[in-house]
Amino acid sequence: MIQAILDAVSLGGVYALAALGLGLVFGVMRLVNFAHAELITVASYTLVMTHQFPLVVSIVLSVVAASLMALLMELLAYRRLRGSNPATMLIVSFGVSVLLQKVYELVFGALPRSASVATGLTGAFTVGGVSITIASVVTIVLAVVILLAMGYLIERTKLGLQLRAAASDFQTARLLGVRSNRLIASAFVISGALAAVVAFVNVVGNPQVDPRFGLDITILALVGIVVGGMNSLRGSALGGFIVGAVLSLLNVILGNGRVYAYSWMFVIVIVILLVRPGGILSKFATKERV
Amino acid sequence: MTTRLRLQELLGPILIVIAFSYVVGLQSAQGLLIVQSTLALFVMVLALHVFVGNSGVLSFGHGAFAMFGAFASGIVTTPSNIKENSLQLQNLYPFLVNLNLGMYPSLLLAIAAGALVAGLSGLLLMRLNGLAAGIATFALLGVAYNIFFYNNRIGPGSQALLALPPFQFLEEPVVLTVIVMLAVYLFGISRAGRTLRATREDPLAAPALGISITRVRWIAFTLSGAIAGLGGAMFAHVAGTVQVQDYYLPYTFMTLSMLIIGGSASLWGATVGTLLVTGIGQILLMMEQQKPILGIVVHIPNGTRAIVIALSLVVMLLWRSEGVTQGREFKIGMPKLRK
Repeated sequence: MIQAILDAVSLGGVYALAALGLGLVFGVMRLVNFAHAELITVASYTLVMTHQFPLVVSIVLSVVAASLMALLMELLAYRRLRGSNPATMLIVSFGVSVLLQKVYELVFGALPRSASVATGLTGAFTVGGVSITIASVVTIVLAVVILLAMGYLIERTKLGLQLRAAASDFQTARLLGVRSNRLIASAFVISGALAAVVAFVNVVGNPQVDPRFGLDITILALVGIVVGGMNSLRGSALGGFIVGAVLSLLNVILGNGRVYAYSWMFVIVIVILLVRPGGILSKFATKERV
Repeated sequence: MTTRLRLQELLGPILIVIAFSYVVGLQSAQGLLIVQSTLALFVMVLALHVFVGNSGVLSFGHGAFAMFGAFASGIVTTPSNIKENSLQLQNLYPFLVNLNLGMYPSLLLAIAAGALVAGLSGLLLMRLNGLAAGIATFALLGVAYNIFFYNNRIGPGSQALLALPPFQFLEEPVVLTVIVMLAVYLFGISRAGRTLRATREDPLAAPALGISITRVRWIAFTLSGAIAGLGGAMFAHVAGTVQVQDYYLPYTFMTLSMLIIGGSASLWGATVGTLLVTGIGQILLMMEQQKPILGIVVHIPNGTRAIVIALSLVVMLLWRSEGVTQGREFKIGMPKLRK
């Protein structure tokens, strides 16, 4: 029971990080970056390929790889699409996603690459007769630390102020002197770093990295930012958390029916959206005005 | 998309689709297969165009309708003796084992299945707005995939449904496609189609004029669900087999990309997008297999084809983000590309 709750919280934390990465980029340029999945994947490959290095080095490398990849996406593709229709941007990000998957397939092969990363984190310990996996505790601590750090960054720093300003009204933010290129680039870099954290947790849990490694979590995080409310960063993180936690709990509650966990979760998502169409954290009365 | 019936807007794309079908389809057995599967995808692209193009709301849920259409049509056209004896179908509901229909009644069933699922889910989904609505439709695809993948009472689960009757003649998919094009165009110039585009252009002014956004979107969603059901079933009868994975993410992205690349707002855009993406894919396939194109052999290494396709999709959208046709309808003497 306790383990189930810990698992739910830790999966929720991971999804919150993934959703926050998506939400940051969405906030500054209305882009639902589907290729976030490939940021997670590239960070995971980096972790697996550098497993012989000290853990810290390989984590730093994976953060660098994912941030660099995010920056490249911005510079080469998304920069040209600013201000276009969100549907078009979404399709472009699909294109980028598929493109990178195929590149990974060419470079690393279609079969999973695996290596044990951070072996110290597998295993369990016992507290008061309850067995608890180390990974779930570490994940929760990591997620909480990163979320707090992000909270500080967003609420207390100048960059964070600009990010929030851009998320609520990009045009006005620009008029008030926010440098859009720099801001968008930093949003991408941060989202890449967040993707690397997600990658680390995932690789520890499941070190079988294939070209589609980041896909599932990204799709669910995507659903998460909609559930939480796309227009606020808090909403995105909260939505991601809800999706991850609910999914984890459903897996326990449904027992043999757990193969249908996704269906139930999506049903819950649709119900939430019907009650709060703008997401959980949306304000009720704020309808767009002319 | 315009408001009145202009024959060239309708006949232009139809004639081009027919010409493509016969020119490529009569070349070889492989050409025939390319044409049939392109037409099946094209019907799906048209389904997306009806909803996405006219309403401006993105939908990822149409793969679900195609899934329902394909499985409905597939399960009733698979011969009973195969259903009784194949391992992956041993848990099938008994009434499904004994149910047998011909190809065309089964296509009607697929249309009905698509329309029913779209109509029911649309009652909920069409109350949402904007990008959130688009992503919520993703949930629909997820649910449908999840159910078909694990439930072996209604289908083969994660296995393939085999031995579906394939189309006999080139004319069958061509005629079906032309009928769908006609329906799509007529919907576009109908009152419902025009009011729906009004809601796309201005979601604040349209309700002020007494238009119910939910209602007109629901009508389009249901119609496009019906067409997607047909498209899914056609895809199944081209391949002769159905597997739930065939209708999941790659299928959804492929058809959506075709629509957006061509230009989602027009019938002509859907046509151009489908033919263009198919064409690029085929040319690259021939390069990979070292076959001559117009007498020239260009060789690209195996595995680069998928990369080049994805890359060209991205580049094309960067070059012209509203699609190649920019949402305009077919017009003779057309390409006045730049103003």
